[in-house]
Amino acid sequence: MALKDIKLKIQATKRMNKVTRAMEAVSAVKMRKTQNAAFEGRAYARAALAVLTRLSGTEDMKRHPLATARPGNKIGLIVMTSDKGLAGGLNSGVLKKAVQAIGSRTKEEVVVYAYGRKAQEFFHNRGFDIRSSYINKGDNVDLEAMELIAREVSEAFLAGDFDSVVAIYSDFRSTFEQVATAHTLLPLSIDAVAEIVAGIRPAKGKWSDEPILEAPTAYEVEPSGDEVLGILVPRLVAVSLYHMLLESKASEHSARMVAMKNASDKSKEVVHDLTRKFNKVRQAAITREVSEIVSGSTALSA
Amino acid sequence: MAKTFHLTIARVGENLFDGEAVSVTLPGEEGTFTVMANHEAFVTPLKAGEAHVETEDGKKQSFTIEKGIAEVSSNQATVLL
Repeated sequence: MALKDIKLKIQATKRMNKVTRAMEAVSAVKMRKTQNAAFEGRAYARAALAVLTRLSGTEDMKRHPLATARPGNKIGLIVMTSDKGLAGGLNSGVLKKAVQAIGSRTKEEVVVYAYGRKAQEFFHNRGFDIRSSYINKGDNVDLEAMELIAREVSEAFLAGDFDSVVAIYSDFRSTFEQVATAHTLLPLSIDAVAEIVAGIRPAKGKWSDEPILEAPTAYEVEPSGDEVLGILVPRLVAVSLYHMLLESKASEHSARMVAMKNASDKSKEVVHDLTRKFNKVRQAAITREVSEIVSGSTALSA
Repeated sequence: MAKTFHLTIARVGENLFDGEAVSVTLPGEEGTFTVMANHEAFVTPLKAGEAHVETEDGKKQSFTIEKGIAEVSSNQATVLL
């Protein structure tokens, strides 16, 4: 490689390093924010889902249309990814999990709700039926927005558009670990909810004690079971979705920060190697020139 | 010593109250009610109003409620706003 080419390459790599470093810093701030939101949200989600679990045993609950399992193979998928890439293997992990959840079903048996551009693009390119997509939502999504989605999905479920709803998101374990997770959202079942509650429980710390999940034998329900569940169940579906979204956001920014950190480190390494090479080539050129001059002058004086 | 129960009042993203309480008064859809220790298990939706919590040391705290759900079971109460 010529001297000039190496020089250009060093400059280009340095510019790239600036970009990745800036993105790393931005992600670090967003990460802190979203991680906090996820931790704060966990207490609520945990309490709400614990209530749901305790209620799951009651007769009213078993009769609730959103809790009734139906035979049938149609599936509704809620896939939560980020809008932007450059976040390591985060989105591909979620999408892989989604493909797993689809399994051997045909495209006609799958309805997709895409949350995030990456999910929307993925399923659009493969010709799936995308019922709704939610793109460019920012980080500060409130529970009301999730209630809208929950209502939309619940109505489609009750209308028989699909027989089960699976939500796929990335569960935030730590800054360095995010796990793509699939949970059955509808029909509501004790097992599925208990699974989500267990997922919320961090390994140690403030919320690590086991929540009480066993139901009391008799529940007094006022005014009537159907009315209470009519309010409670849609709300809890929304809370589950909200919880998943917060986890996804925290995961996204953590993954991006780590990815950008790796990129910054790597570009520094590349600059170092290229500088070495540059110096070597420069030295070789100087040596060659000197020996040319010397041999030239010896030829003249001889 | 008054008997206490574990009370959690939580809003999304924020825990308003988490600890032992002597009584909590809540605006239920069917009228205002008060929960004390060893209350029977029950669930009810809440309407807009004020929640009053009395803690063991006699202190009183109030929270404004827009809507929510109260659930009581095995001597612990959860209020989700």
